[in-house]
Amino acid sequence: MIELDGLTVQVGRFHLREVSLRVPTGGYALVIGPTGSGKTTLLEAIAGHVKVRAGRVLLHGQDVATTPPEERGLGFVYQQYHLFPHLSVRDNIAYGLANGRADRPAERAARADELADALGLTHLLDRGIHDLSGGEQQRVALARALAPRPRILLLDEPFASVDPTTRHLLRREVRQLHDSEGITTLQVTHDFDEALRLGDLVAVLADGRIAQSGTPEQVFRYPNSAFVAQFVGTGNVLGGRIVRTDENGRERARTDEVQFAARFICEPLELDVVAEREGPAHAVIRPEDIVVSRMELPSSARNQMAATIVRLERVGPVTQVHLDVGRPLVAAVTSASADEMQLAPGASVTIAFKATAIHLL
Amino acid sequence: MPRHWSLVSCLRSFPQLVLAALGACLVLFIVGPLLRMLFFATPASLGAAIGDAEVQAAITLTVVTATAATALGAALGVPLALLLARKTFPGRRVVQALMELPVVIPHPVAGMALLLFLGRRSAVGGALADLGLEVVSHVPGIVAAMVFVSAPILVSGAQEAFRAVDPKLERVARTLGDSPWRAFRRVTLPLAGRGILAAAILSWARSVSEFGSIVIITYNPKVASVLIFDRFTTFGLAAAIPAAVLLLLVALGVFVVVRLLQPAARA
Repeated sequence: MIELDGLTVQVGRFHLREVSLRVPTGGYALVIGPTGSGKTTLLEAIAGHVKVRAGRVLLHGQDVATTPPEERGLGFVYQQYHLFPHLSVRDNIAYGLANGRADRPAERAARADELADALGLTHLLDRGIHDLSGGEQQRVALARALAPRPRILLLDEPFASVDPTTRHLLRREVRQLHDSEGITTLQVTHDFDEALRLGDLVAVLADGRIAQSGTPEQVFRYPNSAFVAQFVGTGNVLGGRIVRTDENGRERARTDEVQFAARFICEPLELDVVAEREGPAHAVIRPEDIVVSRMELPSSARNQMAATIVRLERVGPVTQVHLDVGRPLVAAVTSASADEMQLAPGASVTIAFKATAIHLL
Repeated sequence: MPRHWSLVSCLRSFPQLVLAALGACLVLFIVGPLLRMLFFATPASLGAAIGDAEVQAAITLTVVTATAATALGAALGVPLALLLARKTFPGRRVVQALMELPVVIPHPVAGMALLLFLGRRSAVGGALADLGLEVVSHVPGIVAAMVFVSAPILVSGAQEAFRAVDPKLERVARTLGDSPWRAFRRVTLPLAGRGILAAAILSWARSVSEFGSIVIITYNPKVASVLIFDRFTTFGLAAAIPAAVLLLLVALGVFVVVRLLQPAARA
């Protein structure tokens, strides 16, 4: 468990002001914020690399004010990897195993091999690090941080410097490693998508302060300030799970990358979606993708349901229609059509949106 | 063809030609005198110089004192370089400037300053003499003069080598369980080592080539540069050249070693 209690830090021009945050044991939290908001400083303060001016850092309930970094039992991965350039891939991974934590040489080698295997690095073990690709370097950095079995993992923009395909793969691998090793993880990123995909908990850092924290859904749906709203964007986010619909009667391998038809279950809603995987997910629907009508729609859109208008918010030519479908949703229509349809709070309408308009994260 | 073509290309490359010509002048000016001297010495006279006991003693003394000066400079200078490269502390810029000062001081002036500071009548020199360490007109005086002129080279080179190592690497090592000293030994030192070694060799070479301050603080026993000067003033150019060529060859050898080390240190 990571607990920050009124943490105040100043390093050069980076300030952290009274940051309080709690990541439960085994949790995966993301701190998001724009460049220069103090994200890296936050991680370095937790790791013990920078001086804390006020407040406390508690790791697994223990105040670590006087504990040096090497005794905090955490792994740290920097954005730019920071592999040891004078060591081979194997020696990089095994670096933290040489500190006499009761491991014998055979155990160390086994641990390095195990991680190399998990991250697909086995064929690179005896290479130097200079000719590795960005994604490979990032995997080595992850393996190195995980090797001593830290109870806490700190990730500084770990996917920012790799290409989108690799990023996609790495995200999944990191989440899997997190789940299998049960490590309490705190990641910083400037990418809200990443927070939705990975985090159980999200905190938005702005100018050294936590502007808002909560589940990704809460933060996305109910931004508490203009800054957060602008930073995360607006829209509908629904937390739920994806279940495969066996409509073409063929079962594909679980690792199949191909998209398939599925249902997204989010009580009381059940939506038709096009998915790439099963399990827990977030569905994002842009307000302008939701069609609002006073009548039943003859449209081919699969997801059609009755809704009650809660309130209307007119922003110039666009009107945001806040709806209740058992869950709150927001649709956007032109103000002209809102007038034409005589939309008003309390009115019953039919809404519809295409399966392809549901963005699954 | 192409008279006209070659004329155009000549005109086009005119600026480069000017640059090349200017550069060539300077290169010739450096290489010319050295080559002239190398060819002036006959193999026979070189052989005689190698066999000359006084020359042997002077070169041995030079190598030993330069090595001692480099070791002393490294022992005191590498920690300072680490501090200057990694820490901010009050007066850091002043210390930095002071370390560069010897470069602008004419060497005889440095020699006189050392003479005043380390002479028997000075507090420091007196205290050292009481401890049995005679400096002025003795070997320690040579080492002192060499440290004065060469340590700044070592410090600035080592500083650069430490700066080239990202401090985040040490931070990573710390989170992987290393104590500060262990992280320094396992990460920073191996990475900066080559650059520090190159700086040490350069500072050694600077010590070997020192004359102006040594001639003032310790004329006898003679280091190679003083011996060469002595022969030149006493017996003339021809008598001084074989020993001079020997010293030149030692310097060239060091130079080649440094050049071989440096590109790797920069990479």
